[in-house]
Amino acid sequence: MQSLSAASVPGVILDLDAVLILLSAFACLGSKLFDRYLAYYGAQSVLLAVAAGTVAFVQHSPALWILAGLTLLLKGLGIPLAARHLLVRRLQLKRDAGLAAGLSFSLIVGAALCTFAYLVAGQRTLAVGLVATAVVPLSTAVVLLGALTMVVRRHAVAQLIGWLIMENGVFLGAIVLTASFPFIVEAGILFDVIAAVLIMLAMVSGLAQQLGETGTSEMRGLAE
Amino acid sequence: MLQALQTLVVLAAAPLYAGLISRAEAVVQSKHGPSIWQPYRDLSKLLGKGRVISEHATVVFRWAPYVAMACFLLVSTIVPIITAQPLPLAFLADLIGGAFVLGLASFVLSLAALDTGSPLGGLGASRTTWIGSLAEPALILVFFTVGVLSASDNPYLMNHALAGSPAALALPTHVLGAVAFFMLLLAETGRIPIDNPAGTIEISMIEEPRVLEYSGRDYALIKWGGWIKLFLLSSIFMNVFVLPWGLGSATGLGSGLLGIAALGGKLLLCGAAIVIIDSSFAKLRFFRIAEYLGGAFLLALIGIVTSYVIGK
Repeated sequence: MQSLSAASVPGVILDLDAVLILLSAFACLGSKLFDRYLAYYGAQSVLLAVAAGTVAFVQHSPALWILAGLTLLLKGLGIPLAARHLLVRRLQLKRDAGLAAGLSFSLIVGAALCTFAYLVAGQRTLAVGLVATAVVPLSTAVVLLGALTMVVRRHAVAQLIGWLIMENGVFLGAIVLTASFPFIVEAGILFDVIAAVLIMLAMVSGLAQQLGETGTSEMRGLAE
Repeated sequence: MLQALQTLVVLAAAPLYAGLISRAEAVVQSKHGPSIWQPYRDLSKLLGKGRVISEHATVVFRWAPYVAMACFLLVSTIVPIITAQPLPLAFLADLIGGAFVLGLASFVLSLAALDTGSPLGGLGASRTTWIGSLAEPALILVFFTVGVLSASDNPYLMNHALAGSPAALALPTHVLGAVAFFMLLLAETGRIPIDNPAGTIEISMIEEPRVLEYSGRDYALIKWGGWIKLFLLSSIFMNVFVLPWGLGSATGLGSGLLGIAALGGKLLLCGAAIVIIDSSFAKLRFFRIAEYLGGAFLLALIGIVTSYVIGK
């Protein structure tokens, strides 16, 4: 398996791409508007497709090419457009008022998590022979930022976006750790995500119609 | 010789740069706009006028414009504007020292604004100091991002390191640092996402209220100093962060003159970027400024940490 370092052109593209994916996770964490969430998530997925395409190009792996295409179509275009249609147009969701922490504070915590990810997944701790060692800590940071987004947001849809960002981080880590990951597993995860998003959107719209409220604190009341 | 030439270029061309930017902005907004020579006319008019000083003003108020101007001229002697070889006086300070000298200029102007006891001056001083205190840590981190790439904090060595290895320009660390520096440039010079340089409404001004009490040649010096600051930061941005080529060597005057031509081209690019941002964004709400500067800080921080992951 060929390894990508910062010395080659695909390696540089992959590194830059991973940093941009991390920045879009930060952008999502630092914004308050629902259409921004969706735009940043879409941009992140497009960047993820570029990363998958780069790895596929180096490894000459048709399965990864297909995955990159699916990511671009489904996560880059499909989910953001469908969610925008449902949430922003039909349900008129604009500003996310349910923040558990201030934006500046969550950005600082995000920066700390980022540093933590670099420490625990640094190059010394990783096995040799991976596709791109530099991207692993970046993808770990994206996973942590997605989790942080879920923690500091109270609105169900915003938490869903955080979960999707986490999934993007896992996907990025998977393609750079083992490009020979079985195709059927990755594709299965991808379709899982799509199904989950569809169910979630349907539930959220149903809840919004019945209760007029989609904050998770209200939903907790339903369980009791 | 080149040392003097560099300072002269900064003194002479800074108003032209400001004039070009405001004219271009007017053209973008479909207005005719002032002539690009308008800043020179302002200067000559103000320099010819007498000044009025409040009877409560002390020596701080009288001397502040001169100290501030001296700070700007000092910075113009230590950064690479037209030559890539260190000038004789360049040993005085590195980039962080330069930032401190610019900070001193801002501090003196804030003191002067408090000195006369006018309420608006105090308002401006407090706002500017608040923004400055948030921008300063981010600025230092930005210098660290170039520092880890070039293993130096001297602007000339940073310039050499980048000009020697163009691939470094595409490294994530460098890209993030450059974007963060540009955001800080807009904040430090009071451009649009932070402050409206053409604004005339006192209550929304951020830097202007500090100098409203000045008149005559003092006001001319302060205006001139502001343009020099914009010119200096733009040239540092272009020469150290974006296009490290085209600077003259320290050997002869001829290459210095070529360096001026190259600098003109680079500043046109930077000015175009400033004009685009000025005409396409709205001014931020005052308390959103912290988030803007926090963003710049974050970019620089991620840039530095990334350099440890990806390597140089």
